[in-house]
Amino acid sequence: MGSDLRLWGQLRADKAGMAGLLVVAAYFLLAVGVWAGMLGQDWSSAGGDRWASPGAEAWFGTNLLGQDIFQRSIYSVRTAFEIGLVVSVLSTLLGAILGAVAGWYGKTWVDGSVLWLAGVLDSIPFYLFVAAVAFALQGKPWAMHVAMVATFWTGTGRLVRAEVMKIKSREFILSARAIGLPDLVILARHVLPNTGHILLIQASIVFVAAIKTEVILSFLGLGVQDGVSWGLMLAESTQEVLAGHFNNFIAASAMLFVLLMGFNQLSDALQDAFDPREAAL
Amino acid sequence: MNPAVLTVRNLSVQTASGPGQRPAADHVSFELRQGEVLALVGESGCGKTKTAEAIMGLLSPDRWKVTADEIRLEGTELTRLTPREAGRIRGSEISMVFQEPLTALDPVFTCGYQLCSVFRRHRGMGRRESRESSLAMFGRVGFSDPERTFNSYPHQLSGGMRQRVMIAMAMACRPAVLIADEPTTALDVTTQAQVLAQLVELGRAYGTAILLITHDLGVVAQYANRALVMSGGKIVENARVDELFDRPRHPATVTLLSHAAGAVN
Amino acid sequence: MNFALRKLAHGGLLILGVTLISFSLMVWFGPDQTYSLVGKNASAEQIAEIRKQLGYDQPFIERYVSYLTDLFTLNLGASNSSGEAVSNILKKTIPVTIQLMIPGFILGNLLGIALGLLATYRKGRWIDRLINGFSVTSMSISFLVVIIFLQVFLCTPYGLNLFPVRGWQVTGLSSYLLYVTVPTLSLVFITVGYNTRFYRAVFVEEAGKDHIRTARAFGASPASILWRHVLKNSLVPITTRFMFSIPLIVVSGSLLIESYFGIPGIGKVTFDAITNGDQPVLKAVVGLTAVAFIFIQVLTDMIYKLIDPRIA
Ligand SMILES: Nc1ncnc2c1ncn2[C@@H]1O[C@H](COP(=O)(O)OP(=O)(O)OP(=O)(O)O)[C@@H](O)[C@H]1O
Ligand SMILES: [Mg+2]
Repeated sequence: MGSDLRLWGQLRADKAGMAGLLVVAAYFLLAVGVWAGMLGQDWSSAGGDRWASPGAEAWFGTNLLGQDIFQRSIYSVRTAFEIGLVVSVLSTLLGAILGAVAGWYGKTWVDGSVLWLAGVLDSIPFYLFVAAVAFALQGKPWAMHVAMVATFWTGTGRLVRAEVMKIKSREFILSARAIGLPDLVILARHVLPNTGHILLIQASIVFVAAIKTEVILSFLGLGVQDGVSWGLMLAESTQEVLAGHFNNFIAASAMLFVLLMGFNQLSDALQDAFDPREAAL
Repeated sequence: MNPAVLTVRNLSVQTASGPGQRPAADHVSFELRQGEVLALVGESGCGKTKTAEAIMGLLSPDRWKVTADEIRLEGTELTRLTPREAGRIRGSEISMVFQEPLTALDPVFTCGYQLCSVFRRHRGMGRRESRESSLAMFGRVGFSDPERTFNSYPHQLSGGMRQRVMIAMAMACRPAVLIADEPTTALDVTTQAQVLAQLVELGRAYGTAILLITHDLGVVAQYANRALVMSGGKIVENARVDELFDRPRHPATVTLLSHAAGAVN
Repeated sequence: MNFALRKLAHGGLLILGVTLISFSLMVWFGPDQTYSLVGKNASAEQIAEIRKQLGYDQPFIERYVSYLTDLFTLNLGASNSSGEAVSNILKKTIPVTIQLMIPGFILGNLLGIALGLLATYRKGRWIDRLINGFSVTSMSISFLVVIIFLQVFLCTPYGLNLFPVRGWQVTGLSSYLLYVTVPTLSLVFITVGYNTRFYRAVFVEEAGKDHIRTARAFGASPASILWRHVLKNSLVPITTRFMFSIPLIVVSGSLLIESYFGIPGIGKVTFDAITNGDQPVLKAVVGLTAVAFIFIQVLTDMIYKLIDPRIA
């Protein structure tokens, strides 16, 4: 507990990190608003003129179908959080489990298999893999999530594996083994909790990666299938900008940039707080 | 009494981040006189290395706060030098041998290259000349095959040999002052004696005053003229070696002496 | 010897895994081509005939083994959609991708190294913070946004209108520069943030080593410490990052750039092959990527020996 307080104090002192936290919290509130049906509900009706300028009707103007860009970019906050949360939570969990098992049975065939799997996944070019998964799961809206989880866990897995190997040789683990606690209990109760900081940092990194990847996948036609996202808006805008209509592009890139910037600052602050080694050099 | 070559007055070292913590060195003052071997002894963690690094100007200001009324090397006030001027003095007028021979040499350059670069930087030598001087210097510190040492990488040498390479680098420019930070702690007993003897002999030959950091009182008794006892960042005793052994005045000295006696028994 | 054998076994297992996973995904679960190849109103026999030709009637293992056999005998076959020999397609497209990606890849790394060194040199000062801010900004901007922005800014009348909007009609150096500039700038901007971060972390760690203190104790100037001791000691991680990002950048990075700018390179061909289920092309690309990975591993090991005397 005491160390949690100290970490919080350290985070509080990190101005950029706190600004990042505020940004992320504000976006999260927007997402909650959308979930609750209070915000951005009018994102798909194609009522207005196409490419209308920003005004009282549509704050950020309209796209080529006459849809309200402001409503769409707000609704996309929810999409982004859905993707970010699902992918970061699941891939971190998967990485934690596989990494912990590999580290616990370090240098055995179990460890070897996990490392092999991670090595294989890392040597398949990522977008190729995602595209292939998307096609294998044709039409499923969560194909993109599956592909990201399947590849994003490897980084977390390796870090957790290394940490577990380190923890395993510590005194308190040795004594837990000596009194005959089963491996699984030791892993779940004593080892995994000690990797919490890695998981938190990795989750924040993966969150950013997932949102960025969604943009590319949506552009390639492999991303969000129904609904709207900043990636889809940017994909739309690739045609519009050549005709001189920039509202869609500006709205989506700005919304995306601010969230990613906030998240990256938060992620940096977490890394500094948990691992003061570099800061101390 | 010989004149002082190095005068340190009220040198303090603190971490830059937590000035509330106990300083690593606390108002350290002493004089090192021409041609003498001055021992700096104290328990592990009492601040010996930090004191030495502060004198050498090696502590980076974003981590450590160093204050001193005076650190004077012969005529030069070290605290007032520009980085460029300090670079000209470090390694030529004052130099240092480090505690850990395993990590103190750059692993990706040959020993010859590392010694040559000292000659080139401070003596303005060219490739051929620095090579010859280096070979001679390796011979001087007791390598039987200087050519081979010249072409070796640090990891190919034993700990004692690496420490001798360090000594060769440190003594290359015949400095006025050498700070030797536990130069032999990491070595086995026979090598320890050889390396120390080499170091002290070289110091005598070159007229270099040596600040010998150690926690081995046997070493102090054998090589040093005077000794400083450090405890918790402070110099608690400053005495001739014979006085120190006969009439220790500070409890820390007594503790050190009793440990040494225990180690012998 | 033992070491070489282990490396070889490791490489073999990796190829096996990569091909197995890609085969399962792309071929076994991939799109069914029967109906795009038979005419309308085909009879049941015709359909069965086509399926047999495509190998769809055989069990998984047999198809996988024949896939591996084809790969290792370099029997790459012909594209299902265009009928062109796969080896021809590769010969045409790989050079385009290499020409397209190399300048940006190298510049992105060199710039990252330079900024990383500068940040290490001025660690904790404002210029370090500025570089860090720039890196985070670069990391927070989507690849797609960068491409769109640079295209509008450099290639259209809404901006400077200096370069062609898309395409790849390269006939000589001047046309090459014309077409390669915007993709290169995009790639540099998008990779420089991550590269700078990585290289700075490596340099800062190296700069904290004991032997750096030694070099300073012997009067080496900060510039020579950074340039000689820090950089040379960092060559192993630099090489690793550089080498291992080659296959990923070449395939993944080119996929987006080539699709966006309509450039006929290996990335675009691969993407089209995935969406069309063009299995011969996919087999070749995946197999070659895996082999390239192994090759790069071996090459990297050899480079390590050149740059680090401790690696015998
Ligand atoms: N990198 C560091 N960060 C924070 N505190 C440090 C660091 N290095 C040393 N210290 C503190 O500074 C004090 C003095 O350390 P120093 O290395 O000078 O001790 P020493 O007398 O040389 O010990 P030893 O005989 O073990 O070498 C120690 O109490 C240590 O806790
Ligand atoms: Mg010390």
